Amino acid sequence: MLKYLAKRLGRSFITLIIILTIVFVLMRQMPIEGYFPNFDKMTKEQIQNGLELMGMDKPMPVQVLNFFKDLFTKGDLGTSRIYRNNVPVTEILAPKLPVSVKLGSLALIVALLVGIPMGTLMAKYKGGLFDHLGTAFIVFIEAVPAAVYYLFIQLYGTEFLGISLIFDMNDPKAWILPVFSLSLGNIAYYAMWLRRYMVDESTKDYVQLAKIKGVSKNRIMFQHVFRNAFVPLAQYIPTSFLNTVVGSIYIESLYAIPGMGGLLVDVVKKQDNNMVQGIVLVFACVGVVGLVFGDLLMVLLDPRISLGSKGGNR
Amino acid sequence: MSEKEKILSIQDLSVRFNLRGRVLHAIRGLSLDVYRGESLAIVGESGCGKSVLNKNLIGLLDNNGFIDGGSIRYYGLKKDTAHPELYGEDDNGVYADLTKFKKERDWLKIRGKEVCMILQDPMTSLNPLKTIGAQIAEAIRLHQGLRGRALKEAVLQIMRDVRIDDPERRYKQYPHEFSGGMRQRVVIAIAIACKPKILICDEPTTALDVTIQAQVLYLIKELKAKYNLTVIFITHDLGVVANIADRVAVMYAGDIVEIGMAEEIYYDPKHPYTWALLSSLPQLGVKGEDLFSIKGTPPNLFTEIHGDAFAARNQQALKIDFVERPPYFEVSPTHKAKTWLLDPRAPKVEPPRIIQKLKSEGGAVNE
Repeated sequence: MLKYLAKRLGRSFITLIIILTIVFVLMRQMPIEGYFPNFDKMTKEQIQNGLELMGMDKPMPVQVLNFFKDLFTKGDLGTSRIYRNNVPVTEILAPKLPVSVKLGSLALIVALLVGIPMGTLMAKYKGGLFDHLGTAFIVFIEAVPAAVYYLFIQLYGTEFLGISLIFDMNDPKAWILPVFSLSLGNIAYYAMWLRRYMVDESTKDYVQLAKIKGVSKNRIMFQHVFRNAFVPLAQYIPTSFLNTVVGSIYIESLYAIPGMGGLLVDVVKKQDNNMVQGIVLVFACVGVVGLVFGDLLMVLLDPRISLGSKGGNR
Repeated sequence: MSEKEKILSIQDLSVRFNLRGRVLHAIRGLSLDVYRGESLAIVGESGCGKSVLNKNLIGLLDNNGFIDGGSIRYYGLKKDTAHPELYGEDDNGVYADLTKFKKERDWLKIRGKEVCMILQDPMTSLNPLKTIGAQIAEAIRLHQGLRGRALKEAVLQIMRDVRIDDPERRYKQYPHEFSGGMRQRVVIAIAIACKPKILICDEPTTALDVTIQAQVLYLIKELKAKYNLTVIFITHDLGVVANIADRVAVMYAGDIVEIGMAEEIYYDPKHPYTWALLSSLPQLGVKGEDLFSIKGTPPNLFTEIHGDAFAARNQQALKIDFVERPPYFEVSPTHKAKTWLLDPRAPKVEPPRIIQKLKSEGGAVNE
């Protein structure tokens, strides 16, 4: 187990290095305006000086090595030039990241707490009223663009709760609407797939055998069907956490939440190359770690998947 | 036979299915008695209703199926005074009428501890995510109420009974670590752990390797003796049942057309369908000749069948076979068949050569 984990983490680390190298090299191909806030007013010599100061006159491999050296020795991701002039990227991200993570994890917890019971009940009473209502809800969430109901939630929600449209981080009430809005998509996702997997599982022979041996329907649903249906879903929980964090761009801008959701788009537009690099690193990290956790979760839940050995049983 | 005690009596059972707005008549007025401690084989080709019949005994008929006549009397339950409408009494004693069982609550009294079933495919009939030990333990906890240490001991004992080596280690393993034959042993262990009175084996060896088949059949035979079970085998392979069944019932198009002691069915069959079935056994084929096969297909059960259901495929069918359904004619106290050929007025029709040979040799079918 430990050996596998070490190997797996080692590989993830290499993946991250490759991603960063590619992003770094690509960013260096961008016009050099991205490194100077007042490029238009600068003379040729000033620009040349600036490039030398940043070490950008050196050959590409040297630049890559320097970047990693700074990253690993000083935790330095470079300096923002345009988004905020001469502020280290890490300093900009530090206060924003926790806000997004908090929003994302709350939304995911709500999604799991609501989506899983909902999917279970829909499967249990398949074809009944609850199943139909649930399906209608899922279709609505999946089919209507999120922006539409996000707006309605904000408009009527703030009025209902009696809070202002502008987000106040220290007011717990203010978190309700953004978290709720953000969780809707995942609620639909988990309910839909869980229902579907559970319905699939309950037609299997082993469920039949459990019935034959006299196990009650309720017990079969929870002891056999639910657990087996949940395994394929568990794999996606870490990934959907990532998607929730990254995908909160609209929610964060709607409620003016100081997270990092909209940041990437912003800095790409402004051509702040160092900022882009930094944010991509954070996203890539979360993504890779999410995948590792997803796989570990699968191993814990499904005995057929064994660690380390080649050629699985599935 | 009359000495024996009936454990189950099916009378004039009729089961239909709603399928895309049409109604399929799957079991057409079937009657059958099962005696305590016997092993009965029900043979017939695919779709003749073998499985549907048995699902009725355990309350697992598909949702679109329904019983529209007859009764299934099970003599083994004590009368539940809370639900007297489900019970009755005849000269054989108190019975529960399984056709009246509708709710899960009722069926939980039957499933497992009275009637249990072994499914066809052991590869899919175990929960892949639970250990073998846990799956057997679930049955024991449910029906014998054991807990903790005693529970584990009981599981290990049953695993030894079905001849799983090294049960201590196997206990903690998952189904994917078992071969097909071993998994079927586990399924059998689960069934036995419920301590049923009737064990239904729905083609228990079809999905297994030929070399394993004999072992599994032998195991079932052994357990039957040890636990005093009544065993119902469902199969389409007459060869398989030859050496384990006391009685054989031949099913065709939702009815039992012939039933008798195994020797009677094998050496002195009376119904043309039984002749045809036996003639198609590869073991009886003659080298160099084509194997016998039954022409045509089973009748369409969506439409009402007149006369003998097998008549259309029977080259020697009589005129009356197309008009009126034959009743049972008794050949011996234990042997009866639904064919007009047994009517005293019927012309003499000789069974096929292979069947005559069987009869004269009293030969071994299952060599």
